[in-house]
Amino acid sequence: MKKPVDSLISSLLIVSLFLAGACRLRAAELPPASSQPASTASTPANNTSPAMPATVAHYQGRPTTNVAVTILGTSTFHDWDMKGTSIGGFVEFPAGVNFDTNQAALPGLSNGILPATNWATIPVRGIHSQVSVGADIMDGLMQDAMKQADHPAIQYKVTELKLVQPHAAGQPFTFDAKGDLAIAGVTNSVSFPVTITPLDKTRIQISGTAKLKMTDYKVQPPAPSIAGLGVMKCGDEVTIIFDWILLLRQQ
Amino acid sequence: MKKRKISSVVDRREFLKNTSVATFMAMMGGVELTESRGADITNQPAAAETPLTVIPALQAVNFGVIGAGVWGRKIVNTLNLLKNDSQYKNTEVVAICDTFPAWLDRAAKDAPKAEKFDDYKKLLAKPEVQAVVVATPTHLHRDIVLDALNAGKHVYCEAPLAQTIADAKEIARAAQKAFKQVFQAGLQERSHPHRHFLWPFIRGGNLGSNVLVRAQWHKKSLWTRTAGTPARAAELNWRLQKNISTGLMGEACIHRLDAVTWFLGGHRLGGRPNSVTGFSSNILQNAGPDVPDTVQCVFEFPEGPNSGVRFLFDATLCNTFDSEYEMYYGTDSAILVQPGNEARDSKAWMFQEADAPLIGWIVYARKDAFGAETGVSLVADASKQKSLTQKGNADSAPQVEPIQYALQAFTANAGAIGGAVKDYADLYGDADTPEYRANLADARKLALSKHPAAGWEEGLEATVLAIKANEAAVLKQKIELNNDLFQL
Repeated sequence: MKKPVDSLISSLLIVSLFLAGACRLRAAELPPASSQPASTASTPANNTSPAMPATVAHYQGRPTTNVAVTILGTSTFHDWDMKGTSIGGFVEFPAGVNFDTNQAALPGLSNGILPATNWATIPVRGIHSQVSVGADIMDGLMQDAMKQADHPAIQYKVTELKLVQPHAAGQPFTFDAKGDLAIAGVTNSVSFPVTITPLDKTRIQISGTAKLKMTDYKVQPPAPSIAGLGVMKCGDEVTIIFDWILLLRQQ
Repeated sequence: MKKRKISSVVDRREFLKNTSVATFMAMMGGVELTESRGADITNQPAAAETPLTVIPALQAVNFGVIGAGVWGRKIVNTLNLLKNDSQYKNTEVVAICDTFPAWLDRAAKDAPKAEKFDDYKKLLAKPEVQAVVVATPTHLHRDIVLDALNAGKHVYCEAPLAQTIADAKEIARAAQKAFKQVFQAGLQERSHPHRHFLWPFIRGGNLGSNVLVRAQWHKKSLWTRTAGTPARAAELNWRLQKNISTGLMGEACIHRLDAVTWFLGGHRLGGRPNSVTGFSSNILQNAGPDVPDTVQCVFEFPEGPNSGVRFLFDATLCNTFDSEYEMYYGTDSAILVQPGNEARDSKAWMFQEADAPLIGWIVYARKDAFGAETGVSLVADASKQKSLTQKGNADSAPQVEPIQYALQAFTANAGAIGGAVKDYADLYGDADTPEYRANLADARKLALSKHPAAGWEEGLEATVLAIKANEAAVLKQKIELNNDLFQL
């Protein structure tokens, strides 16, 4: 299959991830990656989280046709990007927490930390190369590198969601999020800033940008050999940008 | 292979050897008319055209093949061939169905892992069958396709979709409704890369104004087939029964009909005929006593870009001369398209008028003589050194037959949509919501942009045209083709 230089150059690969809500795991850690069932939504993620006490505000990830995840990467030829529209899962905050940006302070904080439980999952094969020619090849390379057959989803649980103080009224609430990120069967602790913006009375958007290294997750940066051009080595570091829209579940 | 270094200093001889004016134009920001197909590695290729060394596998798809006749076996063997390509290595034929035991056994030899069925409903009940190819006689398509879609299978339905317009519409409606599945009509030209190379070239105005289209399908062969018992013979010779057969126009010519109306713009751009006038005769009775073995049809077009254009189609089972081709005549040039089949690759040539606008790359393009005429070859890399040494208009066996491209597209798209359905259902549940449909519609658009294929819409359009053309030929009449015929 022939591919114009442009496509190659702007192409390729990889990884990763995503995102989420906030803190304090109610139920333990991410299961060891190797024991995750081959489903994009293992454990609690499906449509409902397990228990749902009335003291909890449950926000459910909603499908969208807009870009929800963007992965930016580099290579020896050209920078590349991949995009996906799906982030599934949920976030739970204490009941009564609302993210109205006009508030001077966020209710529900304890020692500057917002209690939250979440599960976020991104299907690997829902992330697609943006090259105009040969995108399926690039998608295949990415899925191979991320061992999609065994680990169909990138998963994230937040362990601590700490409000960045002081909060300026009118600005979205910004948090330092610490959490566990599982990619290709490897779970690491990660931290990055996230913002939570209310879209309307029932919907919030959680956005953020995270940088990570493929090799931290034992993902070999793809280096396809392209006859005539040599080896196109992808950079180890990638940037993940996410915009996750969630809907408040009505009791 | 010697590695080429990228350098700002270009060796002139090297440059001439490996590139073309078209490539040069592309470098300068122009557009090269090229086709995404395998590069010729025997001649050191230009860097931009060489393949990745590793092409990862696509999503696995398990096939059931329903109908194990001559074409059914071709399908089985083509699906086997797909496995040689690392991208499609996970393809497997896991079930075969035919009501005639001898054929079932014969086809099963080519698909050792396949379970055999004498009833298609039992095959459809198998959850491991994800996709089915329906290669039964045309008049038997409807029930099988409807049941298969109902059973949640992806469906590849051979063309024509059905023997009657009502049946074809029923299939199209069911396919439209099945938003979680892939339905592909067996119009294999729609997946052929050479067609997708030619389409923008022809639509881009290289013909000038359209004048006339002529197409033919010529073979000298007997449709009658022998069998051990009269009952089996009757079953086998469905193409000879005038109340069942869609005749030469349906059973043989539908691919040309579809290609021509597609290239003339399809129904959105004035390429759908508004009448067909037919003629027919039975000269050697090669399609039996009741079905004409020689037909001619003239299609006319509504007011619009094709007003005044006529499409002349002739088909016969009594003479082989020039096999099959399409010839597009315009005010600036004529373009000859020879479709690919098992004996030759798809090819095309352009014959320019003396007063046609100059197209730069043609100076360097490879040209072939056709009697007193000279045709500019319209293939990928037509202006390259290597194309000049290839066989010209002599037939050469194709690397990939049209059916293989079509089944590649079906496999890739069924895998992509199947994956998207599973991922969505895992995340958000399987309820039929507008978001679900929008999400899958996006996935479908993305999949088709990578692997184009005919859907129910194209299938219905071509089937209606073929059935009406056959009717016009048999009746030796003019038939108006109003839009209602094509509407669901």
